[in-house]
Amino acid sequence: MRYGPIMMTTETRDRLLGFQAAWDHPVTRWVTIGIAVLIVVSGSILWCGRRTGRFGDAAFNDAFGRWKSWTWLSVGILVPVLLGAAWTIAAVTLLSLGCYREFARATGLFRQRLISVAVVLGILILNFAVLDHYERLFFSMAPLTVALITVISIPVDRPQGYVQRVALGALGFLMFGFSLGYIGNIANSQDYRPLLVLMLLGVAMNDIFAYCTGKLLKGPKLLPETSPGKTISGAVGGLLLTTTLTIFVGHHVFVGTNMGHPIKLIILGLLISSLGQLGDLVLSSIKRDVGIKDIGAVIPGHGGLLDRFDSLVLVPPAVYHFVSLNLGPLGGDQPIRILTGG
Amino acid sequence: MEDWDLKPAAGMDLPPVQQHRSIAREGGLLESVVRGGWWSFVRCSLKVFHRIDYQGREHLPQKPSFIMVANHESHLDAMVIGSSLPLRMRNELFPLAAGDLFFERNAIAAFSAITLNALPIWRRKCGKQGMIDLRKRLLSEPCVYILFPEGTRTRNGEMGAFRPGLGMLAAGTDVPVIPCFLQGTGVAFPPDRVMPRWKKISMTIGEPMYFGNVENRREGWNAIAAEVEASVRQVAQHRLIQCPPNK
Repeated sequence: MRYGPIMMTTETRDRLLGFQAAWDHPVTRWVTIGIAVLIVVSGSILWCGRRTGRFGDAAFNDAFGRWKSWTWLSVGILVPVLLGAAWTIAAVTLLSLGCYREFARATGLFRQRLISVAVVLGILILNFAVLDHYERLFFSMAPLTVALITVISIPVDRPQGYVQRVALGALGFLMFGFSLGYIGNIANSQDYRPLLVLMLLGVAMNDIFAYCTGKLLKGPKLLPETSPGKTISGAVGGLLLTTTLTIFVGHHVFVGTNMGHPIKLIILGLLISSLGQLGDLVLSSIKRDVGIKDIGAVIPGHGGLLDRFDSLVLVPPAVYHFVSLNLGPLGGDQPIRILTGG
Repeated sequence: MEDWDLKPAAGMDLPPVQQHRSIAREGGLLESVVRGGWWSFVRCSLKVFHRIDYQGREHLPQKPSFIMVANHESHLDAMVIGSSLPLRMRNELFPLAAGDLFFERNAIAAFSAITLNALPIWRRKCGKQGMIDLRKRLLSEPCVYILFPEGTRTRNGEMGAFRPGLGMLAAGTDVPVIPCFLQGTGVAFPPDRVMPRWKKISMTIGEPMYFGNVENRREGWNAIAAEVEASVRQVAQHRLIQCPPNK
């Protein structure tokens, strides 16, 4: 069945906007339940600690602030994925714009408004291409936007600082527009929720695993100039535990498919963990270079959006292409150009 | 090639609420787009609903920095002055607004900062430091300040005495002060009304005044305030002779 001038099948409409199938897959169901239980239990512990006087005012306020931020973050990430692909793509668009804004403000690129116009335009068209399921446009947006960034400030006739602003603009677009845009691309496959949940869970847990094993085992620093808090033991611990988690959850996500093979799940886990940690280090390098501690302050207890989502930045393209390599192009069985037709 | 100049936005480590209240705050593309929309809307509204009439626009400097000073009758005043400037100056335009009115509640502070680009003056607790920070910003980057030296909107229609704060910004600098006279804003949107009335508004812009030779100390500030006040009164007199209010 097709709707009006927009070439959309019922199946596509359900994928984009249908939340009825949100918990059809056991992985999505159990991860959602797990997160909800964690939020309620940790909130209850805090509340009990406050009532019994185990937490002082300052400790409670600090912990409650972090709990509130984690709750909002979990809801903000999970709800769009559950609601449908269109909501996921909309959330990714906002995330891309927010991350670019913080990057531009941290590096001073925001003062070059024409470059920002090119990047924002690129992000908007790229995410429209994802919503439209127009992959050729999506992939062409990388060279086209970089080309626009290189030429947009030329008519101003101010060659001073040209290389810096163009390089920063291209880096900003490729990392926060093009790379994060792949999350939306993954959402263009029919059963996208468990795969997205696996990737997002892997990235989030990778941070926690690395932090906990690092604190527990201590040992030599990984890159003391770049990120003084990270240890080699933490990096290895994150790598091992995240890969184990990916094998376990991935087994249920890819059951009966070519991707279900343990070696492939190990590679997927290693990709998520290593690129997650590298993304973190990339942002640490930027922060150290610029000389700031946090890249923003919009999330109380965490810093800026990028301080929280830095480890996600490099992962989506790798997951998309690795899974596509093994299962065929993600979303290849879905109608294309659902909004523009043709 | 120039040296790398990775200077982060001022106050980016502050939470959004505090950033809106910061005098050093810097806006980006989002704010620029919002302000473009806001000032376009203000210009259209003033033209359509208030048949706004500007006189003496040739006195406006072509480039920032400068200070626009006027009598204060209404919340419309800053809108009228802002609308007299080219749209391209919207990101350098900073109405100096009462902190207790425009920056105490978070939503109003966000609107004042993002849309109006207003900077706060805390009337009861400003102290010297607030004015020093404003002066520092005025001298270090292109800025157009809109300032009402009376300190508050008149309640009886009479222009009050100018306070020396203006002098603290302009004394010993090359920054020109532009005296302006606003007519009709108090009738169109008096302090006791919630919505403006459709009444005619006019703005007369006087010649720029320079205070590079005035010492940056209390006597100098008082002298500047008195001189600019006299100039605004003169512009007003000239305007009222040319075009009495009942015509």
